[in-house]
Amino acid sequence: MIMPAGRPLLLPVNPRFIGLTLVLALLLHMLLGLWGQYWVPDVLAVTLVFWTVHQPRRVGLVLAFAMGLMVDVHESALLGQNALSYVVLCGLAAASQRRMLWFPLGEQALQILPLFIAAAVVEWLTRLLTHDTWPAWSMLLAPVLQAGLWPLIGAMLLAPQRRAFERDDIRPL
Amino acid sequence: MALDTYERSAPPIFRQGLSTTTKLIVLGLLSITLMAADHRLQISQPLRSGVALALSPLQWLSLQPGRLMDVVGNYLSGVETARDAAFSFEAKTIAQAQRLQQVEQLSQENASLRQLLELRSQTGGPSKAVEVLYETADPYTRRVVVDRGQLAGIATGSAVIDAAGVVGQVTRVYPLMSEVTLLTDRLQSIPVINARTGSRHLANGNPLAWGGSLELKFVPSGTDMQKGDLLTTSGIDGVYPPGLHVGRISQIDRRVDASFATVLAEPTAIERGRHLLVLMPFKDWPARPVAEPVQNTPTKNKASAKAPQGGTSAGGKP
Repeated sequence: MIMPAGRPLLLPVNPRFIGLTLVLALLLHMLLGLWGQYWVPDVLAVTLVFWTVHQPRRVGLVLAFAMGLMVDVHESALLGQNALSYVVLCGLAAASQRRMLWFPLGEQALQILPLFIAAAVVEWLTRLLTHDTWPAWSMLLAPVLQAGLWPLIGAMLLAPQRRAFERDDIRPL
Repeated sequence: MALDTYERSAPPIFRQGLSTTTKLIVLGLLSITLMAADHRLQISQPLRSGVALALSPLQWLSLQPGRLMDVVGNYLSGVETARDAAFSFEAKTIAQAQRLQQVEQLSQENASLRQLLELRSQTGGPSKAVEVLYETADPYTRRVVVDRGQLAGIATGSAVIDAAGVVGQVTRVYPLMSEVTLLTDRLQSIPVINARTGSRHLANGNPLAWGGSLELKFVPSGTDMQKGDLLTTSGIDGVYPPGLHVGRISQIDRRVDASFATVLAEPTAIERGRHLLVLMPFKDWPARPVAEPVQNTPTKNKASAKAPQGGTSAGGKP
């Protein structure tokens, strides 16, 4: 199999770990939502996109749609508003997934930024169509912050796969 | 499958399922349909309730850090605050004692006067105390979620008040919690009466002005209205009981070229109050007189059809 040179071979991912991280991300999203600021980054979106890029066979659009519905109900937004933005986000991510994997996490963050902006634009358009108020400008900061969080969250999510193949290999003695 | 992963299972060659583009289109259309169903038809409440019920353990969990911080904060600064609160409440109680003593007599007097005038009696309906769980994360709306729902008997449309005045209205009821739209939400409106002059108005929420205020719509610029006037609920809507404090007028902008004045009012309800009271909607509200126009149209038709007859009979009688 072709892969970039100098990259360690990762262990297979544990599906339970994906589920756990998604639930934790939803929890964190709810917790940050209590703050009520426009510019708070959407941790759940970052996690969903990360798994869509790295494990497209396990995490995809259907899961993104379901998570979006949950966020809609929690935020008591229009049912389907976040779902649409998550589906568009993950759809774009799945389309650019093969290219993305050739780059290290830092450079992936640059490529993922337009996707987050696109998702924010979709949400913005939905709001304008349903006669909501004009969005605040500080909302534009959220996609940038999400892209900034990408390497950090990515390193955390890949950590279990970076363990040694044989558990005894890293023992100092 | 990632490029650089040591996967033990090979990806399926033939059973790939739907393509990403198909999924994107189908799910996108599905969410747009859901939005339309929610926005226009309001038929997605069962789905919403189901998801809310499934989410409730997570929501409970997400509220715990805030609660813990509250508890720790209260524990550290507890005695001092409690003493201050006790002092202020004592002062308030003394200040209110005289009025309280009069209230009993006044309400009796009011009841007998109402009986004399054969007016409908004002009775306080059933109410339920609730606690605010969280403000919804959507920064464009002003809504809070409270900890009682359908199982506790909360109904959609109930008025919600706190110690200082009207807070809002229950707009959505889930099995275990319900959602209260605050008066300052953009889509919320409440009929009010100016307590000084007795003029009736409609107050709409205006979340943009001064971090949330009420805007009185269609006030003719000649209306007698002063800064500081108290607005109370008028009670003509059948939702809010009459006489509850709503807000105080904070700004009046009369323009020469406009026939309506821009009037802003500041809500009296405590911002970020924790405990609220849900007042159940009226049950014995008199039937709305909608039937008349419905009856009128056929009678009009009849009258027009029988006009010559009626005319002759009317003409024949005298």
